[in-house]
Amino acid sequence: MDLNKMNNDKKLNLCKFYFTAGFALLPLVWAINAIWFFKEAFRKPEYEEQKQIRTYVIYSAIGAGIWAVILITWIVIFQLSREEWGEFADRISFIIPLGD
Amino acid sequence: MLLVKYGLILLIFKLFPLCCNGDRIKHRMYIDINASTSCFRRLNATHQVGCSSKRAGATGVAHFCEVENDLTFILKNGNAGPYIPILPVSLWSKKILQTLEKSSKVSGLLLYMNNETLVSFSHDLQCPNENYGVENTCSKTDDLKWNSGGTGILFENIRFPVFYIDKHDDIKTVRDCFNKFNNYSYDTQRDRSLCSVQLNSFMFGAKNTPTCIRRSNIATNLNPVRVCDPLGDKNVWASLFPLATYDEKTDKIKPILGQKYIVVAARTDTASFFDRTSGADSPITGLVTLLAVAKLLKQMLPKNENYNTNVLFILFNGETFDYIGSQRVLYDMQNGNFPIETQNGTAEIFPVIKPSDISLFIELSQLSRGDGRVFAHLYKVDSKNTNFTERLRTNMAASISLQKSEGTLPPSSVQTFLKKYENLSTIILTNHLRAFSNKFYNSIFDNSTNINYEYLNIGPSSIQQHLSDVANTISKSIFEEITGQTYTAQNQKVSELVDELLHCYLENPNCKIFQAVGKQPQQQQNRPFNLYVGVDGNTNKATTLLGFVLGWFVGDIVGESNENCTNISKNYAFRFYNMSVSMNDLNNTMCFRMVMNFTEAVSPAFIIKDYDWSSNLYSSWSESTWGEINMRLFLKPSTSHESMTMAVGCLSLLFSSILVYFIKSRSHILFTPESIQPSPVDC
Repeated sequence: MDLNKMNNDKKLNLCKFYFTAGFALLPLVWAINAIWFFKEAFRKPEYEEQKQIRTYVIYSAIGAGIWAVILITWIVIFQLSREEWGEFADRISFIIPLGD
Repeated sequence: MLLVKYGLILLIFKLFPLCCNGDRIKHRMYIDINASTSCFRRLNATHQVGCSSKRAGATGVAHFCEVENDLTFILKNGNAGPYIPILPVSLWSKKILQTLEKSSKVSGLLLYMNNETLVSFSHDLQCPNENYGVENTCSKTDDLKWNSGGTGILFENIRFPVFYIDKHDDIKTVRDCFNKFNNYSYDTQRDRSLCSVQLNSFMFGAKNTPTCIRRSNIATNLNPVRVCDPLGDKNVWASLFPLATYDEKTDKIKPILGQKYIVVAARTDTASFFDRTSGADSPITGLVTLLAVAKLLKQMLPKNENYNTNVLFILFNGETFDYIGSQRVLYDMQNGNFPIETQNGTAEIFPVIKPSDISLFIELSQLSRGDGRVFAHLYKVDSKNTNFTERLRTNMAASISLQKSEGTLPPSSVQTFLKKYENLSTIILTNHLRAFSNKFYNSIFDNSTNINYEYLNIGPSSIQQHLSDVANTISKSIFEEITGQTYTAQNQKVSELVDELLHCYLENPNCKIFQAVGKQPQQQQNRPFNLYVGVDGNTNKATTLLGFVLGWFVGDIVGESNENCTNISKNYAFRFYNMSVSMNDLNNTMCFRMVMNFTEAVSPAFIIKDYDWSSNLYSSWSESTWGEINMRLFLKPSTSHESMTMAVGCLSLLFSSILVYFIKSRSHILFTPESIQPSPVDC
């Protein structure tokens, strides 16, 4: 989809749809929303729907940011203490690395 | 244009056979050393021991050492590291291991066979199986260290892979490669291509047995891999007299109840740091003597004339790793599952044999000749074992002196039983009083030289004669114990049999005895059997053969050799096989009936539900699995050469990208646009 070929009304709908979809534990959708609509929200000359798009973009970015922080923290903790946790770590793993 | 194209293709096809001969680049870069064996990883309830390489293998510059100074030199002066030292196996000791572990210049180790005369070479512990035996029978502080020369390296966790090569060709290949590329002007090693080694032995299992067993069984794992297997094989047992009566008319089997048993036991396994074993003194002398005793007793006591005592021969497997076999036999006995599994411990085919049914437990341990003495170790002295020792003393051949040692208990399968039943009457026959006289316990050098064995050379002071004398003494004493009479007949001659058995185990598995039992190895196998216990579910051929040889010795001939012998009988009290009548008359076969069977030699720890691994009640050894183990040589370019290659690669990538960019941006000039013919439209 090329945003340039879309009218503003459709852009807003699309941005809103991506924002709501992100609530279904899909942080990547938020991240995509924030990046994809960044130009629309901040760089383009003002138009009627831009303000709303900007809100969605900002919230999507914040949401994706929080997710990133949580995920990174968890991954670091898990990788550092996987061996120490023993059985618990094995039970919550889908793939257990061989040989350590 | 077309001409040029075909010309090029023709040129390539012309050149191809000249330069490449269809070899893969891999084969031109590497020399594979196939006959290498590696140290691998084993795990117990708390630790991992042995070696593993990194996932991609360990590489290092080869450094061939003849003496220890060569190693010290390279660790101090080497500037092209990491190195893989190539040491003679005789140097392999705790001290060397510590030096290598400390050095950051070492990424692996390759050992090669050398025929140096060694004083001692044993990598088991000084107190083998200490934690699973009777307490205070071995102490590291005073002189009661059974395996006093033991380095314990077998139970060390080593951070780099260790390989072993014993073929002369392979050793020569490695040495030549080293001499050609590495063995001059060590200061400039950094600046030239060097002969290097890659060792690949990545182990899947890690940490300890509970962890790896759990990981092998996790259902949510997306990539289920079995990362370790319990150590285990089979125990072999046989009885001198039948354990059950069989009524042909009614086709009924009735177990003979209420008997006492004299157990004659030995171990069947050994181990070494590598996937190669020898095991001449331990276990082969013991198990060969047991087989000879079985043969002799069958001749002395062909039938049960209402004796109240039977003889049970048991060969325990996996004893090197915390008494796996004997622990399992005892566990089965306690649960009423010995000699065969039963429902609720009721005897149906065989009587259920309990530890309390054992009247005397005789274990045959290391029995090489040494200084001609045999020691009888009596841990708890009682009338039963004292009497039996007296019988042994009376019956012993003149060339051997029997000495009694009270209160001492060498590492043995008996320990498992004594730990639970301290009043069991036991005797361990062996060739040492305190420390082992065998300085090569559980190592590759416990070979025929170690016990002075020479095939077909049966002199009066040979190992063959010695073991046959010991076997005669034991059999006579057991005869007296069972019948209450003195054995007056002449000594039976079994030294030839002993000679052949030792030949089978130490030199050639395609020997007469293994052929006689009709189960000889199918493919031509020249290397003697590996007597490492191996992993559960994979019965060692040596164990199967051992069972048949034992069965052959205690079996009765019941008829002509034919198909009916093995096929038709539904008599579960016996096993029936067609076997040769004697080892010197292989083609003359008869139908043999025997009471022999195998039982699982897997630690009870792996079969008890929700076993508490921290309880340390049973052996917990398992062996890690692996993908592949291999070793190869290659020429590693110098660091500057490597950087150069990298730089050239990067530059050519850059240039080609630029080129492509320009060609693309000017494509309309370079290429004449194809005029697209409108496709004909069918109206």
